[in-house]
Amino acid sequence: MTPTSPVVDAPGAVRAYPRGRRARLGTFVALIAVLLAAIALSITVGANPIGPGTVLDTITGGGDDESRFIVWEQRVPRTAVGAVVGIALGIAGALIQAFTRNPLADPGILGVNSGAAFAVAVGIVFFGVTDISGYVWFACAGALIVTFGVYAIGATGRGAASPIRLTLAGIAVGAVLSGATTGLTLTHPDAFDRMRGWNAGSLLERGYDVLTPVVPLLVIGLVLAFGVSSAMNSMALGEDTARAQGVNVARTRVLVLVAVTLLAGTATAVAGPIGFVGLMVPHVVRWTFGPDQRRIVAGSFLLSPILVLLSDVVGRIVVLPSEMPVGIVTAFVGAPVLIVLVRRRNASAL
Amino acid sequence: MSFRARRPHRAHLTRIAIAASATVLVACSSGGSDSSGSSETTSSETTQASTREVDHSRGVSDVAEKPERVVVLEPVQLDTAVALDVVPVGTTVLSEETGVPEYLGEDAADIETVGTVPEPNIEQIASLQPDLIIGTETRHSTLYDQLSDIAPTVFMASQADPWPDNVRLVGEALNRSDEAETVLDEYQRRCDEIAEGFDIAGSTAQLIRPRDGILTLYGPTSFAGSTLECTGFTTPEHDWEDISVDVSPERVLDATADLVLVTAVDPDDPNAIPEAVASNEESFPNLHVVDQSFWITGVGPLGGQTVLDDLERILTEARA
Repeated sequence: MTPTSPVVDAPGAVRAYPRGRRARLGTFVALIAVLLAAIALSITVGANPIGPGTVLDTITGGGDDESRFIVWEQRVPRTAVGAVVGIALGIAGALIQAFTRNPLADPGILGVNSGAAFAVAVGIVFFGVTDISGYVWFACAGALIVTFGVYAIGATGRGAASPIRLTLAGIAVGAVLSGATTGLTLTHPDAFDRMRGWNAGSLLERGYDVLTPVVPLLVIGLVLAFGVSSAMNSMALGEDTARAQGVNVARTRVLVLVAVTLLAGTATAVAGPIGFVGLMVPHVVRWTFGPDQRRIVAGSFLLSPILVLLSDVVGRIVVLPSEMPVGIVTAFVGAPVLIVLVRRRNASAL
Repeated sequence: MSFRARRPHRAHLTRIAIAASATVLVACSSGGSDSSGSSETTSSETTQASTREVDHSRGVSDVAEKPERVVVLEPVQLDTAVALDVVPVGTTVLSEETGVPEYLGEDAADIETVGTVPEPNIEQIASLQPDLIIGTETRHSTLYDQLSDIAPTVFMASQADPWPDNVRLVGEALNRSDEAETVLDEYQRRCDEIAEGFDIAGSTAQLIRPRDGILTLYGPTSFAGSTLECTGFTTPEHDWEDISVDVSPERVLDATADLVLVTAVDPDDPNAIPEAVASNEESFPNLHVVDQSFWITGVGPLGGQTVLDDLERILTEARA
């Protein structure tokens, strides 16, 4: 098999990729190095140019009131939130692309984002929620309820909830909820103002108070994502083959959906909808490491926080002295990448 | 006749709206016998003897000697008209949910709303049969012809101009220029009173409007900033972009001043103060939350007096 021939969805086929084990390992190590560099950049660079020396001083216990505030209360929590949100989105994307066998699927396809957005709008309009830590719970609940609703719709009628039916149900429910959200916010301008900020997808003012409560949910999502990846490799060969290999197809599907909802739902709850990360990262990882789901999940774990952190760093310095929300930066980066993806002949087919 | 059409969002719809409002006009003028102001010809025929010319940013309009049915499309025009005792028959609002600002008092509460400030509703304006419409070139430029088909229309150039100039233009349109000068003098007198009463000269003040985690600092040419400066405060220097400047929370210490005000929709909301300011409370010893509905959007002599009353209350509390 040559690199340009269509990819066969089998774990064994990965060996046909030009990269050997050593080259893959080298890429992983390089990704870890880039991730560390991105974290360092995210702590060093910001809208207030305090200089790397001062940052180092502050990290090691020195600095003045202002630098301590900037480093410890702004950049460090924000970097943690950015990394966690990136990991969650990237892995949710890796799961949903393999699950729907659609290389251009993103976590929002099951209605997660629109459910979260609708719940936040309801929270603002009917419950008077005004701060981010209040939004988190509405967004989480909205994402969970909507995904279960989508699953229920997809599972009714004859046959099991196939990925194609879930996708259609997700898109339909998402469209209805987006309309309802727009209706709510257009008739409540104050909610419109608040939603505008949330909708852009931002890491501003997201601290540990927002992150800590959702970490357990994210950890469950991550464990599930790694846990189901072998089963998903088998399922990529077809359901019958997977059953013959002893995989419980129905259970695997439910676990994947739970993982996607936990990961994408909480990421959206924390930062608002940040587009393109869940779409791009697993895709780029698939180019590099081939279709083995275990490697895709592992690669996404490293590459997606890099993308989110670097985008956030760019967002902090492009409109000084103000800042641009990270969701807008990822959209600027993501749109051209999406065009490249679509134009590529063998768009890392699944 | 009342019927609502969709708001004209696009050029296409605008054309439909023009046709629709023209229909309303025909219906009104054929139904009502001598209602003035339905179109330019009728208004000039019936009120020819008692009009005067008003110079404005779109040229010269013949306006009734004493306009009685006035529609305003901008907060400063609403505030000024109410201050000059010409309660408009219709006004646009910033938010259809909150409606006419509360600070304008009971007389203003019953004014009919005719769409939002950026999107006035032409049909509703026409159905009120106004004899004067006041709008803003920077916001309502494309509506001028439609509006002047309904009634003589006077446009101020921009809401970003110094607001006392806009008050004078509204006064002229309403034929109450002397009264407009009087309310401006009263405002200035109130400023001087506070300036002396609290020995403000030499102190700095900064108004912050938190938005989506970003801090918007308002400058000396903004309504709130100009009112603070009127009482003798100076605003710290910044690279103002027009009336304000947005800064990252990392630069929150740029917002420090002797008096710092944070605006909120609901000043009693415990989350009104943004985290970045709250985490640096030692740098903000004299910090107060104020009501956005008049500090930001209450442009005009009445809003100005309300802001000055609020400022006096804050300064009195701070001194105690």
